Amino acid sequence: MSTELVKVTINAKDFQVPKGARLIDVCRENQFDIPSFCYYADLALQASCRMCLVRIEKMPKLQTSCTIICTDGMVVTTQSEEIEKARRSMLEFLLANHPLDCPVCDRGGECELQELTFDWGNLEERFIEQKNARAEKYLSPMVANDPQRCILCKRCTRVCDEWMGEDAIEAGNRGANTVIGTYGGWLNCSQCGNCIEVCPTGTLLDGTYRHQARPWELTQTISTCTYCSDGCQMSLGSRGDELMRIVARDRYVNGLNGEFLCIKGRFGHPFVNHEERIRTPLIRYQKGGRLVPATWDEAIRFTAQKLDGIVAARGNNSLAVVGSPRLTNEALYCLRKFAAEVVETENYAVADAFSLKPFFESLGGPLATHQDIRHAKTIVLIGGEPEELQPLTAKQIRQAVRNGGAKLILINSVPIRLREQAAQFIHIRPGTENAAALALAGNADDALAARKMGVEAAELEILRQTISETQGDVVLMFGGELSAEAQAVVAQMPYTFAGEGRRILLHPLALFNNSVGALDLDVNGKSVSDLLDAAGVSIHAMYMAGSLLPEHMPKCGLSKLDFLVVQELFETETTAFADVVFPAASFAEIDGTFTNNDGFVQRVRKSIEPVHQSKPDWLIVSELAKELGVDFGFERSASAVFREIAERIPAYADLRYPLLKDESHPLQVKHAIASKRELAKEIAGIRRAVAELSDDGVKVSETPQVGHELFKLGTLTDKVPQFHLLAAGNPTPASFAISPLYQITIDEGIKREKAVA
Amino acid sequence: MFIGAIGCEPLQLRRVHLENSRWLDVYRRNGGYEAIKKVLDTMSPDDVINEMKKSALRGRGGAGFPTGMKWSFVPKDSPKAKYVVCNADESEPGTFKDRYLMERDPHMLIEGILIAAYALGAKTNYIYTRGEYKYLIDIMDVALDEARAAGLLGNKILGSDFSCEIYTHTGAGAYICGEETALLSSLEGMRGHPRMKPPFPAISGLYASPTVVNNVETLTAVPDIIKMGGEAYQKLGTEKSGGTKLWAVSGHVNQPGVYELPMGYDDMEKFIMEDCGGIANGKQLKAVIPGGSSVYIMRADQIIGKDVRMDYEGLVAGGSMVGSGGFIVMDETVDIFESTKNLTEFYKHESCGWCTPCREGTDWLVKIFKRIENGGGRPEDAQLLLDICDNIEGKSFCPLGDAAAWPIQSAVKRFPEDFEKHLVNNSRGESKHKGELL
Repeated sequence: MSTELVKVTINAKDFQVPKGARLIDVCRENQFDIPSFCYYADLALQASCRMCLVRIEKMPKLQTSCTIICTDGMVVTTQSEEIEKARRSMLEFLLANHPLDCPVCDRGGECELQELTFDWGNLEERFIEQKNARAEKYLSPMVANDPQRCILCKRCTRVCDEWMGEDAIEAGNRGANTVIGTYGGWLNCSQCGNCIEVCPTGTLLDGTYRHQARPWELTQTISTCTYCSDGCQMSLGSRGDELMRIVARDRYVNGLNGEFLCIKGRFGHPFVNHEERIRTPLIRYQKGGRLVPATWDEAIRFTAQKLDGIVAARGNNSLAVVGSPRLTNEALYCLRKFAAEVVETENYAVADAFSLKPFFESLGGPLATHQDIRHAKTIVLIGGEPEELQPLTAKQIRQAVRNGGAKLILINSVPIRLREQAAQFIHIRPGTENAAALALAGNADDALAARKMGVEAAELEILRQTISETQGDVVLMFGGELSAEAQAVVAQMPYTFAGEGRRILLHPLALFNNSVGALDLDVNGKSVSDLLDAAGVSIHAMYMAGSLLPEHMPKCGLSKLDFLVVQELFETETTAFADVVFPAASFAEIDGTFTNNDGFVQRVRKSIEPVHQSKPDWLIVSELAKELGVDFGFERSASAVFREIAERIPAYADLRYPLLKDESHPLQVKHAIASKRELAKEIAGIRRAVAELSDDGVKVSETPQVGHELFKLGTLTDKVPQFHLLAAGNPTPASFAISPLYQITIDEGIKREKAVA
Repeated sequence: MFIGAIGCEPLQLRRVHLENSRWLDVYRRNGGYEAIKKVLDTMSPDDVINEMKKSALRGRGGAGFPTGMKWSFVPKDSPKAKYVVCNADESEPGTFKDRYLMERDPHMLIEGILIAAYALGAKTNYIYTRGEYKYLIDIMDVALDEARAAGLLGNKILGSDFSCEIYTHTGAGAYICGEETALLSSLEGMRGHPRMKPPFPAISGLYASPTVVNNVETLTAVPDIIKMGGEAYQKLGTEKSGGTKLWAVSGHVNQPGVYELPMGYDDMEKFIMEDCGGIANGKQLKAVIPGGSSVYIMRADQIIGKDVRMDYEGLVAGGSMVGSGGFIVMDETVDIFESTKNLTEFYKHESCGWCTPCREGTDWLVKIFKRIENGGGRPEDAQLLLDICDNIEGKSFCPLGDAAAWPIQSAVKRFPEDFEKHLVNNSRGESKHKGELL
């Protein structure tokens, strides 16, 4: 859209609007009510519901305002008898075959058809004929379908295609018999449920929440997702002390993700009220004994005494403190403070899958926000698989390509699904991702890089050429495959490629919801593997908030510790070694902040009271500190913790909870930008490492199955029964009429592979 | 069945009676492929388009848009490929003229497409037929092979620098695929849904490239226009509607068939009563649908003695439209309620389901017709039918909605007596209502 203005007259009032503006948007921005169902921002135009008809002078028929681009001198009428009749008649048509039994429909109360019927419905129903009846059914463990409520706005099929690139649902049959259906009856897709979200009626419904609550019974709390680093904003619907559902519906929440959520964000919440949550503090009085329930006072006192004893006997550094990248900034800050100021140990680490520390130390330009990705002109993705690990980023990439004409350059050892959108797919040998950093740095090592990657050197030339010829934004993304040196080289690329009319933005694909925040707060942090290696040698006690990742478990050395404290929601492989377990409150029960991969600090808000006796992680640490003689002074206020973060951590300076309250305008952390520097050492290091790689690694030719990461059962998703069906390959049940959970027994018999993440 | 010209020399139907008329040598012996030679030897693309404009040829598919104008909308400087697509979907009920042209004179169509492709700079062209015309595809493919072998198609046509190719493609039997944008969707391999206009196909059509979609009869007129010159062709007809037009006559006439008439033929009564041999079995004329099922139905008294001229303007003045030229004649035995129900069921069946008014409206209309037929008619149903049609007309995504509404609107208004007997009588034939229907 240009900055040039054109004059549009709407209902006899003149407006100056940007040239190229869409009439329906202009009308709505100026408070002229235009009803619509099929119009949905940033999806392909449909113009099929015909609700948004307006009269435009010099045009013979009424026009759909969603398809009209404003031109200078356009004279528009949005309110007249003719238009009212047209809108009322469209609604009459839509209601003709729609059941009028809102009280039994899950969408009743937040249904767009219901709302527009209040505005535009007729008092009297002229349709006295028999309605076309169609049976309710399930499309998948997650998606329930009541086809006769469908008004065929096709938002669902468009998000499935345009957002997800899956095209798993499509309209079948013709005319009045048109139904939204799946290919082959059973929905085999990533089960994101975005079709449910965008459905304006009760046609596509959350199969896990079906008939459990009415929308008006729910308290909506805006919060941030606890799964991946995209940091989607969501609305937690709770009734009493129970979290009932999660949606991103724009009537409740307007975050960076719009109405997008992935399967984990939308359906992965039943762990919150799960019966296996740890209910009280637990103490193992003797090694080899059982964990026995204890009171908070007893457990805190016991832990304090033990820690005191170990520190006195073995020194401060015999104690290690380990945080989790899933915790809030507040919890991680208190943990670090606990390590530095209470037990005064140098051994503090965050148990992340990989560290982005080298990247942030060399950061040569701004981080790309998700909005930037959507409007980028070139996107380079090295390694990673955002479709499975950062689904919102994947959606933004897809839309940038499909709707914005961006060029996607994929450098991956696996033909991941995003390849379908890629203008250039550099299919490399597994483990040679670092060579991509060499190629970005210059053409000196092209021969070596191309040989090791198993590609033509010309492909690397095209890569550099595409970046340096781009007008607009270039986003460089990378997954966890890059070495520290390669991360540093990529981080410095803004200095290499930025130019007139071209910004180079960086987007690290961190794995966890607060990987970036954990790094921001982690001054002088150590590697968790080093600490685990030292267990029983120089480290004799550990204090952990959250469990270790599965990859840390095999030789974790936890059994060699004299004393292990773990804050957790559930009993895990880590708590099996613990001497004290504190019940921690989940993200739905606490206030706090997460920092996402855009660098946005976003609020986590308390939706329900902490279940059982659990407490927020930061509060547990604070109470223990108090017992050990140090009062953090935060009382019971997460806001106070954050205020101290803002005072102590330069990147978070001046941020306060009140400034973070509007989820539609998230604030970015002010990461320090490193100056341009000589990369010769790093490049030499990468060159050496690349030269040692084999010349004949076999490339992966198969596109991985949808959900191969998303459906894996982790500690949290393991608590959702539907995930077990998906992890087992989403078997087709005998009947679609009832939930597959009632038809398929989840046991070893249906597991297709070891489904433990 | 009559196939031939009335009131003029046969132009489009000139060769259909010849033995082996579909073969290349017959076509060539009878003036075939002279036009393309003239074009390649002596004319620039602009010359061709100018001739087309002069000819006042209006698109024969139904909308009657001036063909030369349509061609001139294709941007000359577009770097994209350009396409000519022949709409041979001919799915309008009552229309069967294109099939005779393709069946008996396929090379005329090929030559027409070649000239259009030359004028527009198209290298790849398609003939899209309806699914039921499978046998025509076979005929066309043979003709295309013949033309290719004779150097009339493919590389360097007739030794010139002009090269182009024509492919055949069949639909799967959907009426909507006769609508040009739905046809393009179908041709691209997608669901046959209409597309938003603008952009019009001339700017962004097949594969988002400049495309001209023309009816068979439109394209087969092109060789003659080139040969005789646009002006001469126009003079065959009227000032605004040049040339001749094929009428596919069916129904209760003694001599149904495909009639070639000069545009502006005077008049419809004479055409029915004399040229078509009058009404069969000595019955009286009751109604005519002159331009395929989607146009207004005409009462006999709108025709008899009314001097209805048979061209675009004349038929509009007479209360209907030329449409596709599917000329359906009905005698006094026809119950217009029944015939309208039949058509409504067709539109309901063929509604693609994309937009609300057409999808839900046609479904509702059929339900009402069925209820009335089963004795559940109410006097207010006539007004209800009209109101539903009014709510569909002009508000649907593509013209199919209008096409569904017009026959009902005209039938209810022009034949109220046929509706009245269904609406005010119950299933036992007893009157339920005394009073004005409309």
